[in-house]
Amino acid sequence: MTSRFSYGRIAHVVLWCGLAAASLWVSIPKIYSGATQYPLRPTGPLHTCDSYLKFATGASGASKDLISIFHSMTASKRIVIFTRKDDPFSSGLGMTTAYLASPHLVRLFEINGTHPDNELSKMNPNEVAAVVFCRINRPTWLPAGKVFGSGLEVVSMPEKVRR
Amino acid sequence: MSALALLGAFGTLLFAGYGLLTLLIRQQTRFSLTEQIAFSWLLGAGAVSLLLWIFGLFVHGVLLPRLVAIVCLALGFVGWRRMVPRPLRRRATSFEILLGIIIVIEIAVVFYLSFVHTLGWDGLLNWEIKARYAFANGGILPGTYFSDSGRAFSHPEYPLAIPFTELWLYFWLGEADQFCAKTIFPIFYVVGIFLLIALGKRLAGREWIGLLVAPFLFFVPQITVEVGSAIAGYADFPLSVFYLATIGCLFCAAEQGNAAFFRLYAACLALLPWVKRDGVILWTVAAACGVFVILRTKRSPLFFLGLLPGLLVICGWHFYLRTMHALRPADFLPVNLETLGSHLYRIPPLLSAFLAEFYNLPTWSLFWFVVAIGVAHLSRRMGNPRVLVLLAALIVPIFLYLLIYVFSSWPSYLDHVGLSISRLLMHVAPVGFLVTILAVSSRSEKNPARVREGRGVTCVTAGSERTPVVELA
Repeated sequence: MTSRFSYGRIAHVVLWCGLAAASLWVSIPKIYSGATQYPLRPTGPLHTCDSYLKFATGASGASKDLISIFHSMTASKRIVIFTRKDDPFSSGLGMTTAYLASPHLVRLFEINGTHPDNELSKMNPNEVAAVVFCRINRPTWLPAGKVFGSGLEVVSMPEKVRR
Repeated sequence: MSALALLGAFGTLLFAGYGLLTLLIRQQTRFSLTEQIAFSWLLGAGAVSLLLWIFGLFVHGVLLPRLVAIVCLALGFVGWRRMVPRPLRRRATSFEILLGIIIVIEIAVVFYLSFVHTLGWDGLLNWEIKARYAFANGGILPGTYFSDSGRAFSHPEYPLAIPFTELWLYFWLGEADQFCAKTIFPIFYVVGIFLLIALGKRLAGREWIGLLVAPFLFFVPQITVEVGSAIAGYADFPLSVFYLATIGCLFCAAEQGNAAFFRLYAACLALLPWVKRDGVILWTVAAACGVFVILRTKRSPLFFLGLLPGLLVICGWHFYLRTMHALRPADFLPVNLETLGSHLYRIPPLLSAFLAEFYNLPTWSLFWFVVAIGVAHLSRRMGNPRVLVLLAALIVPIFLYLLIYVFSSWPSYLDHVGLSISRLLMHVAPVGFLVTILAVSSRSEKNPARVREGRGVTCVTAGSERTPVVELA
């Protein structure tokens, strides 16, 4: 007859209880800091985009303004977005802008440095609705656009761009 | 108003899922309330997203959600008439009530966390983006989206279970709402917990083992608070819950004569490739396990038809992508022997990276260490086909995931690993919990008298749990 409290059973219980306790010991600080790290954010249909744009540029509620700018442009024309290589913020801004630029087709240029003159000069302005600069300097020969916080500028393209 | 709309969206989804559950179970097996809710959600999410996609090939605009809603209601009414039988109720012990309270608190915290956090990067730019674009285009993804190189970053080739579940909410809300879209993810967490409790009871024969182990899901940082966790809007955790349901059902289906679980396994299996592209790998492993079970238990060859729905989903989605001229994913090199041969040198560094991940305490705590002990504990019972299936379902996907990085086309394949490995391992983490449950309970199984005494609804008894009406029929 097997004893209900055999050594094997006790060892089994001790092993799993010990593992459970050790797991909690390691996990709780991490879970606690993860759970208390962020305050409640304002809710809204564009809650995530707004949070990211505020984080990256400092501008509040920028998503709605960006959408209305893109909506005011001819839908058949592309939005060209310039981002910087090796700059995650710039890349993130570019992708968020591409997300908001629907239903326009999008072209993302990842460039070295901060001057996109070469790429811009090769573009056909008739096919482009706007150029977006994400933490990149707008060439001085291009008219000023709508600036969102620091690092994001949307330039609507006139019919002819002259350099 | 939003709350009412969400209630409508979730209600119809659960209604459809319950209808499908009753069709699959055919009153052959008793299911606890938690199991019924969990499977109704999984089947409902799968059915609604598939219906939106399939009907969207023919209609769009206001007609699309109405058609889908009609099918959901029709399925629900089928369920209403057939009702899944519930197990006999018994009084919960005070220990079980205490564990239940802990689980409720954890669920509340997960809901709170999901509202505090925004959608994660992939949650927004890989998944929610599809729901938003489809909503703006009358319920179907614009054809240009698939071939727009400027939006290749959003992986247009990814399947639509999660985005189209979000789309279902948007139809009910009347607008695309990133905040409300997040509500589906803590529900997947709840479903995961419910499944662990229910499967724990079926595996171990005791209610409290599932109740005791399930709360530890909350204490795995990768699942609760890390990048790509259950609250971030990524498809990885939902995929892991679908995989848990698939393997759990297969484990129960391995019992002779329990066809109800096999049908449920086939349904969950079919949805794996519909949740995420990586689901094809999990589908392959779970299907191979299914074939093993069919052969080992000498079932009718008709059971192989259970693999067909999943194949249809995989082929249907690939055919659709071809028709839409979708851009080919650029993350991996062509999978062939030549590439494998020329990239074999990657295997040792990949092994090191995987091993390092297993003892990455800030991400996984002691989870993998505990699972390793569970595996060692169960290795003595490898002769049992059900245990073998469970261990294979845990270990084989990890090796396959390791192997796919051999084909990574990233300039630094180790960066690719670093960015995604924790999320890939999350796919099998709930199955790791099943292994732990089985290992914890294995000691007490040696004393059959006590197992019988504590057994409520288990896989062993489920097969013979026909209602008197069915038995008479």
